[in-house]
Amino acid sequence: MLELILETLIKAAIIVGLPLGSIPIILVVERRGAGFMQKRLGPNRVGPFGLMQPLADVFKFLFKEEVEPSHVRPFFYTIAPLIALVVAVMPLAVIPVAAPFDFNGKTIFPEVFHTDLGIFFAFAVSALGSYGILVAGWASNNKFSMLGALRACAQMVSYELSLTTAIVAMIFLYGSNDIHSIVAEQTGYWFGFLPKWGFFVQPVAAVLFLVGIFAESNRLPFDLAEGESELVAGYHIEYSSIKFAIFFMAEYVHMLVLSGLFIILFFGGYSLLPGMELLVGDSALMLTIMQVLSFIIKISLMVWFFVWVRWTLPRFRYDQLMMLGWERLLPLGIFNLIITVLVVHFRNH
Amino acid sequence: MMFVDVLLTVLTVAFALLTVFSKKTVISAFALLMTLVCIGGIYYQLGSVFLSAIQVLVNAGAVAILFVFVMMLIDLEKYPNNTERSKIKLIITVLTSLVSLGVLALIINNNIDTITVVNLSDSSMKALFDRLFTQYYIPFELATVLLLAAVVAVVVIANNNKQHPGKE
Amino acid sequence: MTISKVLGFKRTLVRKMDIYESGVNPSGSATRQYDVKYYLTAILFLLFDVDLVFLLPWALGYQNAQDQTFMIYGFLFFMAILLVGYIFVINSNSLKWEE
Repeated sequence: MLELILETLIKAAIIVGLPLGSIPIILVVERRGAGFMQKRLGPNRVGPFGLMQPLADVFKFLFKEEVEPSHVRPFFYTIAPLIALVVAVMPLAVIPVAAPFDFNGKTIFPEVFHTDLGIFFAFAVSALGSYGILVAGWASNNKFSMLGALRACAQMVSYELSLTTAIVAMIFLYGSNDIHSIVAEQTGYWFGFLPKWGFFVQPVAAVLFLVGIFAESNRLPFDLAEGESELVAGYHIEYSSIKFAIFFMAEYVHMLVLSGLFIILFFGGYSLLPGMELLVGDSALMLTIMQVLSFIIKISLMVWFFVWVRWTLPRFRYDQLMMLGWERLLPLGIFNLIITVLVVHFRNH
Repeated sequence: MMFVDVLLTVLTVAFALLTVFSKKTVISAFALLMTLVCIGGIYYQLGSVFLSAIQVLVNAGAVAILFVFVMMLIDLEKYPNNTERSKIKLIITVLTSLVSLGVLALIINNNIDTITVVNLSDSSMKALFDRLFTQYYIPFELATVLLLAAVVAVVVIANNNKQHPGKE
Repeated sequence: MTISKVLGFKRTLVRKMDIYESGVNPSGSATRQYDVKYYLTAILFLLFDVDLVFLLPWALGYQNAQDQTFMIYGFLFFMAILLVGYIFVINSNSLKWEE
């Protein structure tokens, strides 16, 4: 019993601490990346290459005055950032970074909470993500934040539909909801060189999912919730100091979680990158290390992709956004699902 | 694990009571949301991740959001008469509670065996699926017809009120 | 948040506590009438989401089903009804955001 609690605590500390710890790195990548793409320098004064910039930001947030305007609804105003962060962090518990391995004669699952329904659980919890934003917008009692929250909420639920069709198609294809068996399905190669990733089987579902995660995490080109030119800052307009920082963190964690799910479903999760087998050899320890490394590399590429898209595409207009969600992606997802099911069925019979 | 069970039960009942007795509608809505999430937790404690995920996904993630939406969109504090107590309300409350208690008693009386042996582990989910997609396939299909009716109703009602153009 | 509360500087001004409206004096309340479309989007999402969530156990149950052809017929019927609802919604223009 004690051992179990200890094991869970250690895993929780690592798996929650790692993403939270990587947020400063993502921030640097994002700001320096923006500079790189726009042919300017970006923050480069604090520390070597501006690497200490996030630390400076954290201290700035901590020492800023925490303004609580007189018109807000205090209780909900205070808990809104916490809701956002907790809901964003929770799905991390089911995302594994490596295959189950033996340690001291015991099989250890490299995720905090092992269940057969990992994808399903993560998806259900991240569906609660709109509450943080909705509560923040309403509690701020400000027209801009209210509109931002409403927009964010309507947008998130709209794209969740096409996301669900993609997930159903993938689960049907793999015939399982267990993350480890989904990854096992994707290990290996076709014709000796092409990895058996879900992306090559279901490119349509992959695109749907990719668009969906941009909309769910409120990132450009879908960051209508905070469209500066119309809503100033959207739902967190009345937030300052560390509360604002918490919203920021929640957004990045949400992004990481969704990228993780995307990688698991379409890019083989922690399965080795091509060529890594040569490094592994027979050692089981090396295998686990390489799997973690592959996962981290894939996640980093996804984060870079997020940054890349953010500074490349302009923001959508709201009616275009809703049209894209309801009239393009949703029917695409439904037909993709029907075709997938029929093809799989007739291949079997 | 006993402790977690008791805690979840107490929380569920507390939030349910808060839902009913809170004077502020928004607090009611959030208490309802918390009740639903806690029920999801109870399912998890009973051994079914599937049911708790469904509970969180559909009831907490989608149904409760509608309530919260309404509470936030219209300023319910403007309508003070919803805290008024009348005899009719009291009678209706007592009647509904009696009827639901009676139904519960009837169920427990008749099927006490089936209730006590319910096993919610995920391996039994496979059995549930087998039943659902053979014996109960028609009700499963009819659920979508029901939802279709709801979709039509929603669209028709919403389009009826075009004479009050809303603001964005 | 507690750390920040302690560390942060404090200076209370009436102006600072006001609603932010681009520096103009705030006018009206934030709980005004918003477009019914937001609500409509939410409720339609709920209905379609329930539909799609029904398919999750279906996708998991298909592998172990005895009569898979029967399962496929059920699926096609299910999707046909869903599509009817979807086409109705799109044709009613209730989700058109530009007037």
